[in-house]
Amino acid sequence: MKATHLVWIRRISQGFFLVLFLFLLIESRLPQDIYLRYSLVFLSEQDLRIGWPLAFFFQLDPLIWLSSLLSGHHLIKGFWWGIALILMTLFLGRVFCGFICPLGTVHHVVSWFRPALKGQRMIEANQKSPSQKVKYFLLSSLLVGALIGLNLTGLIDPISLFFRSLALAVLPGLGVGLKEIFEWMAKTDVRILNQLSYGAEVLVSPVFGYGYQSYQSAWFIGMIFLITILLNRIRPRFWCRVLCPLGALLGLFSRFSILRLEKDLEKCTNCNLCTEGCQGAASPIPGQHWENAECLMCFNCFDFCPEGALSFRFTWHPKLNKQPDMGRRALLTGLLAGISIPLLGRLDGQVHKTSEPRLIRPPGSSTEKDFLRLCQRCGLCMKVCPTNVINPTIGEAGMAGFWTPHLIMTQGYCEYTCTLCGSVCPTGAIREISAREKIERPIRIGSVYVDRGRCLPWSGNGPCIVCEEHCPTSPKAIYFRKEVVPGADGKGKLVPLPYVDLKRCVGCGICEYKCPVKGRPAIRVISAGESRSLKNQILL
Amino acid sequence: MNHLITRRTALKRLLRISGGLALSAFSGWPEEGLRSVWAGPKNRGFIVEGLGQGEGYSIEELTRRVFEAAGGITQFISKGDVVVVKPNISWARRPDLAATTNPEVLEAVIGLCQEAGARRVRIADNTINDPRRCFALSGAGMVAKKTGAELIYPRSSLMREMKLGGNRLDVWPVFVPLVEADKLINLPVAKHHGLSSLTLGMKNWIGAIGGRRSALHQDIHQIIVDLAQFFSPTLTLIDATRIMIRNGPSGGRLSDVATRNTLVLGNDQVAADAKASTLFGLSPEQVGHILLGQKRGLGTYDLQQLDQRQVIL
Repeated sequence: MKATHLVWIRRISQGFFLVLFLFLLIESRLPQDIYLRYSLVFLSEQDLRIGWPLAFFFQLDPLIWLSSLLSGHHLIKGFWWGIALILMTLFLGRVFCGFICPLGTVHHVVSWFRPALKGQRMIEANQKSPSQKVKYFLLSSLLVGALIGLNLTGLIDPISLFFRSLALAVLPGLGVGLKEIFEWMAKTDVRILNQLSYGAEVLVSPVFGYGYQSYQSAWFIGMIFLITILLNRIRPRFWCRVLCPLGALLGLFSRFSILRLEKDLEKCTNCNLCTEGCQGAASPIPGQHWENAECLMCFNCFDFCPEGALSFRFTWHPKLNKQPDMGRRALLTGLLAGISIPLLGRLDGQVHKTSEPRLIRPPGSSTEKDFLRLCQRCGLCMKVCPTNVINPTIGEAGMAGFWTPHLIMTQGYCEYTCTLCGSVCPTGAIREISAREKIERPIRIGSVYVDRGRCLPWSGNGPCIVCEEHCPTSPKAIYFRKEVVPGADGKGKLVPLPYVDLKRCVGCGICEYKCPVKGRPAIRVISAGESRSLKNQILL
Repeated sequence: MNHLITRRTALKRLLRISGGLALSAFSGWPEEGLRSVWAGPKNRGFIVEGLGQGEGYSIEELTRRVFEAAGGITQFISKGDVVVVKPNISWARRPDLAATTNPEVLEAVIGLCQEAGARRVRIADNTINDPRRCFALSGAGMVAKKTGAELIYPRSSLMREMKLGGNRLDVWPVFVPLVEADKLINLPVAKHHGLSSLTLGMKNWIGAIGGRRSALHQDIHQIIVDLAQFFSPTLTLIDATRIMIRNGPSGGRLSDVATRNTLVLGNDQVAADAKASTLFGLSPEQVGHILLGQKRGLGTYDLQQLDQRQVIL
């Protein structure tokens, strides 16, 4: 096969998988046609589910599978996709990086389109550098950390990172901008603009989310993403070469690859075109030893070589390829970091002692210890949540739980019969539950309490009872008694006062969300009483 | 019918020729005046109660008969009208839990409007739970698909500040499609409510506005009446096929639901609410906003003053 053909096959494959990734990302939402499926309405036991295999890329990613297995002792659903990928890497090298990885494709495009560096400077940028060992350091610290009990893989796993960045920062960011324009159009008195605004919103909302989506610390997620993208202008595919732990893992397996770069020293004129096009800084030029663990299998060198000195061939050598150049120091520091980070992460006492009152995990979450072992912080649960209540943590879960999901009831609330978050979780950190488990027992998200100083009726400021109205349980967990409360004029007023029956409360938080006292509502959910923790209970 | 229209057009022409402008200045819209002569119940307060007593009666048939007893849908909906139906689909609950308007009634009403030649029928409600889940579970989405009615998503860009001119609410964001309608049909479900004691027709207008709705509960009855005065629907059809007798307005259990197999249709909001309140064993005076509604002159809860009819199926 001609090299140009190979490069074009690569481009088509990259485009296909990027589009597939984006499609699945957009479909990670309440299905658009659910309300049109008649049968759902009358079948009470049926839970709303999304038909698409949303977790496909997470299943394809062997790092997610491996880290969940090491730390959570749990084989994730569809793990054999990851095994298939490892088998493929054993034979073909890091083709995932060159052909499939959607984040890699983005980096590739940014590196390759009108490159910032030209000629000699690009050749220098593409020389192999010691910084490429960093990814092995990251990989070893992540895997050792996972083994000891803290799974931080998702923070820098390419699939998790890409999904999180797009779902929590890029899409909502663009969405807010567009919505503000539409809002302005709707406010004008020009009828055609009003209609255009409505029409545009109909088209845009299913993709960017209804209303103004917001996520705690999303600006930071977005900035990190932007920086990783911009680094490509300094060195092509900087992320893939230096940081990507999945690339490092696949690099280890590529040692056995039988698809090899054959170099012909005789034909080479040292023009360095191959190095100029090399995405992985894998020393493609004849005379240097090919770094197969760094090679992203983009086939640029093969394509660029004017002399035909380079070619990729299947060869059944008995001897293995060059060992990945990871360096003992990188591995040892990785080991050290991997041991210390999980232990340091325990020091804030979240796992063994205290329970942060605002650390309210989605319904069906496993115990905090297991949660930190399984959660990839990918943001899939946050993306599908129809009310935008699931947000990344900053400090609520301590250092160890940075960017794991939790519920912020002032941003939304947990819909009484919605169970989407657990049904999409790729690793099972949030278990798939049924609405029945949520309504009856055993699942409880937390408990609610009334802040009487803020509450309108309790503080003598008149009737309200919005919390009681919205309480979804039957009988209601929030009930009222009519009592006389002194008002500002000293005269008593007969008003309904809200009380909470903790036995009935499921902790959904709609009372907190709808409370007219905004900002810091007069009725608030705390994690106490959450069914996932045996220690964090109130009632006997 | 044809005969009637011919006569009316003839009269119209006559009026136009003889300087109708001057005439209409003191007699109001000639069309309105003429219609009241022949149309019967249109301008007089009426209340129709439909009871489904037969085993497995058809809700669609009952709805149709109720409208027929009121003089037929064409008395209220004209050809080319944009009709907005305002059901109560606030909660993401299945229909059998009685937290939302029965989709069968909704479908029947939309069907009737379409038969009457409505140019467009829209379903609009600013829901409390996530709208998509409400549309799904209440069955409203399914009705929209079946009938071809437009189901309007309550977007923030569709909430526009308007002058309500009420006692308590002066300026407030209103869900625009309801104001832009030619004809407005209120289609609530009859439920218990913790604060306002019942949620029937007038209370349903809370779902027709946007803004900080949770603040409205501080003077709920006054606000319900303010809104009822502002929206003033063409018709109110209260769905009491099954009602929620406790744990309102959201319920959540079949034991909160009681079957009444009743529909209440009226052109007087207060009267319709008054009639429906008796289904809960309450007298209209016990419900604050019904009392206040009569005081404000929106209608009457003294049903003797109205043209009362009953349909039994």
